[in-house]
Amino acid sequence: MRKYELIRETFCRRGYIWIVHVVWLVLYGGFWWLFLPESEKEVGDFGRFLFIWGGFFLALALSAGIFGDDISSGRICVLITKPLSHGELYLCRLLGLSLQAAAHFILAGCIIVILRFVMRKGSIEHLGIWLFASWLLFITVAALSTSLSVVVGRIYNSLLILVVVVTVYFILGLLLSSMHQKADTGILTAFIRYAWPPFELLSKFAGGEYGKYSLTVGRFSVSKSIACVVHSVFLTVVYSIIGIILLRKRQFSRQRD
Amino acid sequence: MQIKNNIKIWVTVAAIGLILEGWAFYVVSASPEHWRPSMIVNDEPEARALYDTMIETLQKVENLSYKSKCSAPDGRVCTYLIQLKKPSAFRIDVTNDPSLKTNTLVGNGDWLWIYWQGVRPYLIVDDAEGYQKTRSEVYIKKASPAGKNSIAREIDRLGIIWNGLILDPSIFHGYEDPFEPYINGVRSRGPYNYRGEACDIIEVSYMNAQRTRYFWISKEDHLPRQIKQIDRLAENHVRVEEWSDIKSKIIIPQHKVTWSPPEGWRQWHVPGPDDLLLKCGQKAPEFDLPSADGGRIKLSDYRGKTVWLCMWECGRPGCRKVLPDLQKFYEENKDKDLIVLGFNCTDNKKIARRFVRENALTFPNVLDPSEDAEKVMLRGYNNKTKTLPLHTLIDAQGNVMDAWCGYVEGHE
Repeated sequence: MRKYELIRETFCRRGYIWIVHVVWLVLYGGFWWLFLPESEKEVGDFGRFLFIWGGFFLALALSAGIFGDDISSGRICVLITKPLSHGELYLCRLLGLSLQAAAHFILAGCIIVILRFVMRKGSIEHLGIWLFASWLLFITVAALSTSLSVVVGRIYNSLLILVVVVTVYFILGLLLSSMHQKADTGILTAFIRYAWPPFELLSKFAGGEYGKYSLTVGRFSVSKSIACVVHSVFLTVVYSIIGIILLRKRQFSRQRD
Repeated sequence: MQIKNNIKIWVTVAAIGLILEGWAFYVVSASPEHWRPSMIVNDEPEARALYDTMIETLQKVENLSYKSKCSAPDGRVCTYLIQLKKPSAFRIDVTNDPSLKTNTLVGNGDWLWIYWQGVRPYLIVDDAEGYQKTRSEVYIKKASPAGKNSIAREIDRLGIIWNGLILDPSIFHGYEDPFEPYINGVRSRGPYNYRGEACDIIEVSYMNAQRTRYFWISKEDHLPRQIKQIDRLAENHVRVEEWSDIKSKIIIPQHKVTWSPPEGWRQWHVPGPDDLLLKCGQKAPEFDLPSADGGRIKLSDYRGKTVWLCMWECGRPGCRKVLPDLQKFYEENKDKDLIVLGFNCTDNKKIARRFVRENALTFPNVLDPSEDAEKVMLRGYNNKTKTLPLHTLIDAQGNVMDAWCGYVEGHE
């Protein structure tokens, strides 16, 4: 029963969560209505918008202070009492977020399908893959953010991830645009591709690779698609394990911050 | 007991997870930057039919006019305005953006004229003195029988542009792309909406994926909208050609595709690649470079023997034809004081080694895609136009006896 309550709590942990869901859904609809051309076009542009807004920003918005709030208020001491272990507590929170995201993306998909048939513009081809990729990115980012919230107070876990991601990609962009430094960015690029939340791999899994000067063209093969999903899930598990270890190691106080 | 069972379960789950992640890591890290045999494409009948239809459409249409923008990741862009008229006339105006100056090629099926707006650019084949005399009011006139000469190659050879055309406009007049016999296969890469036009993307692999082309072919008129070419040399080279303003149902007026030199203009006899090479009696430049088998090759080690030095590249049809002939020649003359020496300074080592293996080339080969090796070819042996194969005959004293470029069909 307690586990179920913890999972359900992520849906209404803070008052603004419902507002976030509604605003995000309105954004998807607005983008579809305003920015897609009249003629039928591959869902590519919308897919990437959904991927970043739903997979990344939504994860940050929903996981802000997910443990930080409870630690700051001292409520964490109540939560970590038996029979619930630290691992179960963490997993319930993460499962709650994942289920929230699943419901969110299903609803988003339904809204887009309705808009497609009402407005007669845009294409819903590959929309399902984009929704799935967005959900995978969501749970990976949510796991990272949830783990970070164990050590970072209040909502600073989300802010920290946002600032770090923007900074890293900005620096990488500057380094890659300078041709003679390409060799030096190999390690950084590899780290971002494999240890960082899988933006690149999942967007290629969903959208394929059609960049003008890219060294390949087309969608991922079945084996590469499965490998992407496996890697994304593995990263989620690694981030979660880190979060559970941090949760076990921390000493909590009943005092409010 | 239960704890032991739990531990066993978790260890098993962790092991499976790590194995799966290891497999996933292996699969996703197969980078398109590095050549692999799996890049060689097998034929798919439907994709091949699309490719054949594209070529047929290009050859059947009576008049064709289009704009082609050729670019590369370095940001340099060349714009071509191409007008083609059956049976054999054409006009190509080419500009290196953002310059406003235009180079023009006009042909009538017998002759090709090349001329420039204002002062012409300094070309690869120029020397300082010659350039001053031929800076302006000059034109080139060459024999160019329709369907037998490559327009794109004329443009490339002169070195007047940054990025050359990928799809040779000469196909319109029946010219066969020299890479056609080297197609491994054509496969589909799916549909794509290119700037509002429904297209099919096909991938064509040449020479065991040493070169790959992607064509975005319009479903409406079966003509390309975008072509991407990837050359897998020591580094990967990517070029993109974008077509626009395509008109195939117009009639191109005859005056657009004819030209005669204005009064006072002079014909310039542009030096060919052979004219720039080392002359008989000159000392052959020494080199000491890595070989294909991991050792080193020093030219002076062959002093006392006649050396046939052949500079080659996997991706050149002429090289692929001449090397088996050279191998036969090498085997027949092994016991005599005559040695064949190969020299490759541009290719990806994996691709070059595979080529050497597949063609059973046993004569010694320099294989070194370094700047030093490239300097030997470009400056040492004066191959400014990078025309390959380049042959240099060197006598027993290390002097050049003869030097020539290219491969003529049936030339053994």
